[in-house]
Amino acid sequence: MLSIKNLHASVEGKEILKGINLEIKAGEVHAIMGPNGSGKSTLSQVLAGNDAFEVTGGEVTLNGENLLELETEERAREGIFLAFQYPVEIPGVSNLQFLRTAVNAMRQHKGQGEMNAAEFMKLAKEISKQVDLDPAFLKRGVNEGFSGGEKKRNEIMQALLLQPKLAILDETDSGLDIDALKVVSDGVNALRAEDRAILMVTHYQRLLNHIVPDYVHVLAGGKIIKSGGRELALELEERGYGWLGIKDEDTADSSAN
Amino acid sequence: MKPAPTLSTAFLHPAGQALPEPLLALRKQRGSALVDMPLPTRKTENWKYSSKYLKLTDDMAISLPAEGKTGSSLAVPGYKVAFLNGVMIPEACEYPDLDGISIKSFDDLSDEEAADLADRLDSTLDNKAVQMARLNSARFEDGLLIRLKPEAVLDQPLFIVHEVTAEASGSAFPRIFVDAGRHSQITLVEEYISSGSAQVMVNTVTEFNMADGANITSIRLNMEGENVQHIGSTGVLQQRSSRFESHAVGFGGPLRRHDLQVRLEGEGAECKLNGVVVTQGKQHYDNHTTIEHVAAHCNSEETYRNIAADQSHAIFNGRIHIHQDAQKSNADMNNNNLLLSNGAEIDTKPELEIYADDVKCAHGATIGQLDEISLFYLISRGIGRREANVLLTMAFVNELVEQIPVEAVRETVQGRLSHFFEQTFQEA
Repeated sequence: MLSIKNLHASVEGKEILKGINLEIKAGEVHAIMGPNGSGKSTLSQVLAGNDAFEVTGGEVTLNGENLLELETEERAREGIFLAFQYPVEIPGVSNLQFLRTAVNAMRQHKGQGEMNAAEFMKLAKEISKQVDLDPAFLKRGVNEGFSGGEKKRNEIMQALLLQPKLAILDETDSGLDIDALKVVSDGVNALRAEDRAILMVTHYQRLLNHIVPDYVHVLAGGKIIKSGGRELALELEERGYGWLGIKDEDTADSSAN
Repeated sequence: MKPAPTLSTAFLHPAGQALPEPLLALRKQRGSALVDMPLPTRKTENWKYSSKYLKLTDDMAISLPAEGKTGSSLAVPGYKVAFLNGVMIPEACEYPDLDGISIKSFDDLSDEEAADLADRLDSTLDNKAVQMARLNSARFEDGLLIRLKPEAVLDQPLFIVHEVTAEASGSAFPRIFVDAGRHSQITLVEEYISSGSAQVMVNTVTEFNMADGANITSIRLNMEGENVQHIGSTGVLQQRSSRFESHAVGFGGPLRRHDLQVRLEGEGAECKLNGVVVTQGKQHYDNHTTIEHVAAHCNSEETYRNIAADQSHAIFNGRIHIHQDAQKSNADMNNNNLLLSNGAEIDTKPELEIYADDVKCAHGATIGQLDEISLFYLISRGIGRREANVLLTMAFVNELVEQIPVEAVRETVQGRLSHFFEQTFQEA
């Protein structure tokens, strides 16, 4: 599904990704772990199409299509979804309006008719229950005044509504207490499907207790230095990153997080 | 040194001789005071950004004809009063006889009523600060007097549509005076519209004289065409425990200027002033507000937001003056500005003068562009760039638009905003 070959990217002239290679197939769940500043968030942002990052080399294809040539919104419509590490607060745009606009943009792209307000409200209420968000949140501004956990649940709600082909979860576990982590993990597990891939970016392995990955990769200094199965995450938890020859505070660019 | 330009004598000849004698006399007296009135220049502090757009050539001195047909962009659900070029058109007005409320054109006043009004016209405004209001006082040809007896409540909004017909150059001088008795209540909408394409000026004065406990909601819509200079003034005089709420929404033109002066003269009075300004092309919009905290224990809350696109220019000048005896005053003023292009300009100036020592007074001003991170967030969900721009721009003013308490007005404003978005944000 997703194929990344020798991807290089930089921000403000500084190279962060220094040759990433990664193959993800439909139905798989991959976890990318690594110390702060290793380039994990940069990889997420580059895949989603944030203009602040410049791709300086390599290629990325989604089902054979060159992803790097697509605009951000086109990538989303082709099925890329990024759950933000820091979801943005947008006062003045209601969550409901935002979600409906996004869903209808997708539907239009697929040649489906728009959902009217009533239809959408019904769907949104259902899904908000699934991530344990009070439907009252739909009426509030996008993420406005939401707690950290509520913001993350809102991200997962969006993924459930938009049904992406590839869901990228950037530090979705950060800032969650144990109950919220459970809710968010259940939401992510509900996303797992034969025709969908999930790429989780995380610093800690605790999320992986709830969402069991098929593959684990260690990103350090802008490169994937080790790949393995689920057991690699456990080993990292036990031994830290030191045995791989990197230090946790080894920073390629801490501002990229 | 070149002498300062003065008002052309062509402006000193008002039309409209149908007014009752006391008002004619007042107008004449105000006119004679305008002889040699210096015009604002860029050295006049409160006109420094706008004086060059003020066009007071002799062809502007002509009174626009007080006849023709009127139309409104509002589908009006409440009571309606229509003015054409500053003169009431009785056949276009719709309001019943109301208990305790009198709505009359100046022309229809008895000499006694007119004499009473003549004593009080201009009483809510500081004429030194709003020079152009003096021109209106010398030139108004008709006007609307609304009097509410104590406890009188108008059950529906009153829509006052002021239309100018710009078939040829000239000016109109709309005038409104509202006398609100104790604990009376009214919501009124002033809508300014135009037809025709000649260069014209609209010079307005609206005054609110509020007795103890009176409650007024004033909505002002500036919707005139690109050929209309609008120079308007609003004066508000508030007695004890009265409440004034203003929603001023304006779309730009060659010159739009509104001076809003609120004087909190009785203890416990409060005012809330909201403003939304949208400019595009080469439009120019200048809002000046003044809140005088004269008495103690008064509250004021002010929020103005400007959006400037293309090469347009918007100005906000907000003054709060807390007098020495106005202890326990509570004043909060905010002005937020959104620039949509590199060529647009916004100037904002909060002015606080505080002479009492036990007050709470806050102000904030921001100028920015659409937030890149918010934009990325929206488009990363598949929302098109154009639509994301529209959502974020709308969000900037939505909070204020939503507070307008009359649905028909909100819809009109949203319609005009959509039109603005269509012109400003091109399809990618």
